[in-house]
Amino acid sequence: MKKKRGAADNLNDKTAIQKHREWRGGRDTAYDYLQWCRLWGILIKWAASHPVQNVKALFRYRWMFTYLTVPSFFDRVCEGHRGAALRGARNNLNYLASDVTKTLTTIFSADMHLHPGSKKAEELNRKIICVDELLPNLLGKGFPDCKMILFQEYPMYLPSLINQHSPVHYIEQSELYGLPADVCPLPSFEAGLAIEDDFPKIGCCMLTSNMPCDGSIMTTMLQERRIGLPSQVLNVPLRWKDEEVQGYAVEEIKSAISFLEEHTGCRFDWDALKEACEVWNRQNECKFEKWDYNRTDIPPHTGSSAWLYRIFEHQAVAGEPLALKNDLKVNKILRRQVAAGKCPKTIRHRAIIWNTPCNNYANFNNWLLNCWGIDSVCEMIDIHGTDLIDTSTHESMLRGLADHYQTATMRAHTKGGNEVILDALWEKYEEYNADMIIMFDQISCKGVSAINGLFEEGAMKRGIPMVRVRQDLMDPTSISRREMRNDINIFMQNVMNEEPVDASLVEFDDDQSW
Amino acid sequence: MKDLKHIHFYENLLEQTGNDLVLQEKEAGGVAVGYTCYYIPEVLLNCGKAFSVRLRAPNTGSLDISQYYMSSFICGYTRALFERAFEGGMNYLDFYASSDTCQQMVRVVENIRDLGLISNPDFGWGIIDAPLKVTPHGLRLYADQITEHILKPLSEKYGVDISDEAIRAAVNEHNEMCAIFEEISELRKEENPRITPREFHILSLVSYASPTSRILPYLRETLEDLRTREADAQNRWRARVVVVGSELDDYDFSEIMENARCYVAADRYCFGSIPGRQQIELNDDEPVLDQVCRFYLETNQCPRFMSQAKIMQRRETIRDLVREYNAEGIVIEQAKFCDFWGYERTLNAQVMQQEYGIPTLGIDREYVVRGSGQLATRMQAFVESLEIKRLQKGGGEK
Ligand code: SF4
Ligand code: SF4
Repeated sequence: MKKKRGAADNLNDKTAIQKHREWRGGRDTAYDYLQWCRLWGILIKWAASHPVQNVKALFRYRWMFTYLTVPSFFDRVCEGHRGAALRGARNNLNYLASDVTKTLTTIFSADMHLHPGSKKAEELNRKIICVDELLPNLLGKGFPDCKMILFQEYPMYLPSLINQHSPVHYIEQSELYGLPADVCPLPSFEAGLAIEDDFPKIGCCMLTSNMPCDGSIMTTMLQERRIGLPSQVLNVPLRWKDEEVQGYAVEEIKSAISFLEEHTGCRFDWDALKEACEVWNRQNECKFEKWDYNRTDIPPHTGSSAWLYRIFEHQAVAGEPLALKNDLKVNKILRRQVAAGKCPKTIRHRAIIWNTPCNNYANFNNWLLNCWGIDSVCEMIDIHGTDLIDTSTHESMLRGLADHYQTATMRAHTKGGNEVILDALWEKYEEYNADMIIMFDQISCKGVSAINGLFEEGAMKRGIPMVRVRQDLMDPTSISRREMRNDINIFMQNVMNEEPVDASLVEFDDDQSW
Repeated sequence: MKDLKHIHFYENLLEQTGNDLVLQEKEAGGVAVGYTCYYIPEVLLNCGKAFSVRLRAPNTGSLDISQYYMSSFICGYTRALFERAFEGGMNYLDFYASSDTCQQMVRVVENIRDLGLISNPDFGWGIIDAPLKVTPHGLRLYADQITEHILKPLSEKYGVDISDEAIRAAVNEHNEMCAIFEEISELRKEENPRITPREFHILSLVSYASPTSRILPYLRETLEDLRTREADAQNRWRARVVVVGSELDDYDFSEIMENARCYVAADRYCFGSIPGRQQIELNDDEPVLDQVCRFYLETNQCPRFMSQAKIMQRRETIRDLVREYNAEGIVIEQAKFCDFWGYERTLNAQVMQQEYGIPTLGIDREYVVRGSGQLATRMQAFVESLEIKRLQKGGGEK
């Protein structure tokens, strides 16, 4: 059969690295190129600021190599984007790069693995608070003289998105240690890092938590033993729809504040927290506006550069004025395109994407759109932390923070009763005027797998076309990108009886791709 | 040894999830409250006319239906319960008291509710949130959640008496049962014990799966029998161990231990007697509900508890049991696909071995263990390793 020509022709076999920069028309290609140069500027500035330390980090930490592939990752996540989608994506991603590089500098400057015996590093560590990466760090804004760092975000979560192979070694280590292979790869990756002693040695104390689920609870125990920092668990209630658990949630935050005050020697600054909460509220309002646009027939910005940024914003940069500045800028771009009634993409289907996305295939959304014209107008992972924080009193702020935690990424849907994840799905389907559901069958996410049947029956009862896409969050050795695409291909060809928008993308090999 | 009094009757009771005693109690106007987890204080489900049934799914065969509804990567216990409810085997239940403490188990009750699997017009359910550490505000949350989601519905919908007097009466009855178990448990410390692991496992299971008031008379007689029972002249046990782990309601497990001539001196697993069969002491100063809830929080050994104090308590409890029951090793068992016990088993198997110096075997197992050759082989090998250790220490034959 003659091979169809299309976007896949620009991808190298197996590695899927682009042969040349994607042609998106004159203006968009130029914009994309300039933003790509801006990214290199950020990376070079970072690398050059502490060259010795960064090189040491590269040799000390296996996961650090992953960050060298960031430009390629950003390109993948922007595949096929035009107009506002491209601009939104590039701005979000570059903001992310600038914030992450700054944090990496803080981490490596204080890292006792890189600076053994250093007094300067010790001094820095006195003001570094480590927190479980799934515990949003807005609370840290109440300690303006300290830096609150999402402990696993930089060695684990981001690398798992950037390079699909980065989790494999660590997951293998956790299995060699004897941990069961059926547990979600996220806690396994974290356990592997702890076992390999591949977490930076930083901080004066650690706030752990039960976020988001059972596997994470257990991996925390293992990590605490290895890391050895004074720690306290912040217990975030599970039945978060229940008003009666809120008092407890607030008490837990108060207790965490006392713990942090004791270990950092700093007083909690309520004014600083208030200021940050107000910034966060504005960030959130910007997000609401984006969702509004995606409910229209011309959704300007969908896909992983939106959800990935949302997760990062909620977890790592809530209350950060620079993040807000980026939001305002992106919203202006989106607003303009919507006002002009333009939508430079081929949309055949409006899909709701449900359950946790696949980190090892972050650009799955791009593929859906480019290959089959399926636009991910709403994704479960994008919708969390949707309530504004009432900053009128200390108590109301704590209540808002408690809610911010309980509705954090993954938590917002996988906990609180199955009605939360089920009802929201049917609601979003209507709200976004969708015509299909793509259900991630994340095989080791047990809390969600255990309601598989209710999803199936719910979709059947409502006559909604639903396709299950198997994936294993961040373990490509269980289910590959190709297999995920195949689930969609079979559905689109056999159930929907459709022809692809770009046939070259139906079948290609990217197993060795980052 | 001659057969233990009532053992065959107990075995028969364990063939059904809603056994004859459960049905008799229902006939007499009792309110059947199912539960699965130590986080749900059993004693509170025995107030007034309510009675508790710790849920099991004996004789589980195919799990195909639960595979469709709950996937195949879910713990066998939860899937078996779902399957049993789907088959109509739980229609005797009036109320399902659950806790959102294991994400797999909570989905069972939600599935049962949403699919309307219990054909009992009075069926109700309650799910509590529970803390992962013991603090004053955690106790408040726990007690309030139990009141709101379990006690109040039992009182309002079924007319169950949940007054302080009713709770105290339930504690008294519970304590009587626990006193029996405490005495029987002492017998396990004998050099040549007069009760076998299988028998003890059966007694423990039947006490959880039957209404306390109806099983008590039988247990009293069994204890009486045990007081005068003579152990076999020859001590057949090659090793003594403490079994620790997740849900374990299949007494074939203990039979496998017996076949390896391994004596289970103490049972620290869900459905075992530790914790669960220890008396609750009440004072007259504090609200009785708070006292009961505190007791359950403090004695709870679930790996879900995250605080350092609780993590250490779990390890020290095992160490203390090894000492108290004169055991030489530990078996940590885990239901396959259980996230909590998967990690706990791996980590504590190493910690107990390396830091506490106690030989430890970690195993995972299916819900139904009957005929598991792999399990039998591993037990056999572990017993041999314990014997070799004893020989090396110069201890000789057991
Ligand atoms: S994907 Fe599921 S199992 Fe994995 S961390 Fe998230 S909620 Fe937990
Ligand atoms: S054995 Fe584990 S997974 Fe199964 S119900 Fe118990 S805690 Fe949950």
